[in-house]
Amino acid sequence: MRIVVAEDLYLLRDGLVRLIEACGHQVVATATTGPETLDALRTWRPDVAVIDVRMPPSQSDEGLRAALAARGEMPGLPVLILSQHVEQLYARELLADGSGGVGYLLKESVFDADQFIGALERVAGGGTAMDPAVIAKLLSSGSPSRGLEQLTEREYSVLGLMAEGLSNQAIGRRLFLSESAISKYTTSLFGKLGITDDNDSNRRVRAVLTYLNKPWL
Amino acid sequence: MRQLGSWPARVGVGFVRACVVATVSMLVPAVWAAAVALGIWWGAANPWSWVAPFVLVCAGTLALCRPVCRVVRFLVARWTTTVIPAGYRQAGPVTQMSTGYWWNGSSYERSRRDALMDQKWRLRWSDPATWRDLRFTAIAPFTAGLVASLPPAGLATAVLGFGGQPGLAARLAGAFGLVVAVASAPYAWRPVEPVAVRFLRPSPAMALADRVEELTAQRADTTVTQAAEIRRIERDLHDGAQARLVALGLSLATAGQLMETDPAQARALLREAQAGATASLAELRELIQGISPPVLTERGLTDAVRALALDMPLDVTVSADTPPRLEAPIEAALYFGIAELLTNTVRHARASRAHVSLTRDGSGITAEVEDDGRGGAGVRAGGGLAGLRRRLAVFDGTVEISSPPGGPTRVKMAVPCESL
Repeated sequence: MRIVVAEDLYLLRDGLVRLIEACGHQVVATATTGPETLDALRTWRPDVAVIDVRMPPSQSDEGLRAALAARGEMPGLPVLILSQHVEQLYARELLADGSGGVGYLLKESVFDADQFIGALERVAGGGTAMDPAVIAKLLSSGSPSRGLEQLTEREYSVLGLMAEGLSNQAIGRRLFLSESAISKYTTSLFGKLGITDDNDSNRRVRAVLTYLNKPWL
Repeated sequence: MRQLGSWPARVGVGFVRACVVATVSMLVPAVWAAAVALGIWWGAANPWSWVAPFVLVCAGTLALCRPVCRVVRFLVARWTTTVIPAGYRQAGPVTQMSTGYWWNGSSYERSRRDALMDQKWRLRWSDPATWRDLRFTAIAPFTAGLVASLPPAGLATAVLGFGGQPGLAARLAGAFGLVVAVASAPYAWRPVEPVAVRFLRPSPAMALADRVEELTAQRADTTVTQAAEIRRIERDLHDGAQARLVALGLSLATAGQLMETDPAQARALLREAQAGATASLAELRELIQGISPPVLTERGLTDAVRALALDMPLDVTVSADTPPRLEAPIEAALYFGIAELLTNTVRHARASRAHVSLTRDGSGITAEVEDDGRGGAGVRAGGGLAGLRRRLAVFDGTVEISSPPGGPTRVKMAVPCESL
């Protein structure tokens, strides 16, 4: 895969590049500021971009804004956002366009190289990768939106793991269930949420969006 | 001010008010008149005819001036929207020394009662507000009092004119009195407001002195709070992240030693080190969230409040009409204030939803948090709402709480423009 890495701290940037290259992918460009990131995304149109939220020059959410702007110009451009903290607000903004190919992880997720590269590949393939911390926040906040009330507890936890971006196989491993049992749960929850799309990865993204849906967004 | 309905109602209310103002402002002159009458009654030959009235005038004036001024302030505040601060000096604490004597800030006394008495008179004597009150009681009868006497005087003339001896002149005078009474009633009490504002309001120097005192107290408070915060951060870092990093280093060093001899053990240690790093990151994240939430730094108040609302375990809606960025300390104070209020809502209010609104107008910025809970919230000393009030006081901000039993609870925080 051709990957763009945007991170202002040298140590982290260098580490990320080494990790990605060690796993057999190619880093085509690195960026250290918000505008540079946007330029690199436009020029290279990478298979996936790894972007830090906070970057110069303003040390605010430059990276996130560059990612959102790039996805506005190139719909579905896969981006994986890395941050020291996770906010539901940012997760919602990333998922709002509904085109998938979005990841939002804590920086320490790079500690587990296999999982990190797995998430990267999933996002490049148009799926999602949400940090368990975001999902935990989602689970504990607000009252569930319409449609979700009908889900059983088991379907609800399957949806939570699906939102993290896990495959049926991985969800099955997490819940100690067979893959076929999980696919039964997913089919029934897609039905309850009224998602009739044929493409499985699209269905998954839409289920997650329903899950994230809040009145004000 | 309350909107007064029909014209007769205005005349009636105005008449009563004029009578009240006239009575209150004429109290002290009445004492003087009584003293003079006493002197005349006793005659010039009686030596007491000079001393007793003099004592009566002094004692009466001193005893009455403060209550009269309090009543005037109360009436003006009640009838108009003008609030005139009293500005009396506050008495300091009276403490018992190891010798058993009592110290009131300026002298030692044998008993607590003596100390309090001494302090009270010293304070009365040195307080500029006392002299201001005296001046007002001397001026009020000739200004507000005189005008306010018009309606009752008119009515008295009317009663005398119509009820006294017959005759055209008396009737005419009575009719004139009635007209004056009715015509002046709605307006005659009003001069009390400008007179009170002019002569009872603390002088600029005094207002300044009060402000300096207030700011000194606030500065002391801020310094103490800040020091406590820094100590808390230091302790959290020392016991948390720092200790974890030491453990991490140890695990790595041991893993390095075991790499050759016991690779399995070394791998286990490396996993442990990784878990330690994750844990210390989580701890640091929490600490940073408490010092300055990253989303506040990155996005400003409005989005930070939105993010906060999303994380609450109840439905919170946010409406905002504020500029994108404010001064960082004000953003932080308002953010933590809103966070505190929402946490209270979750913990105590049994609410199902809450609403936060941020508005900016000509007078300043206002943040309002409202829930549909059971109400009954109040400010307790040392409680969260008292702390909130203190934090906002640094910016001259105010906190208004309306929380009747049964709800809803509405808390309004306002920071004036000058601080923005």
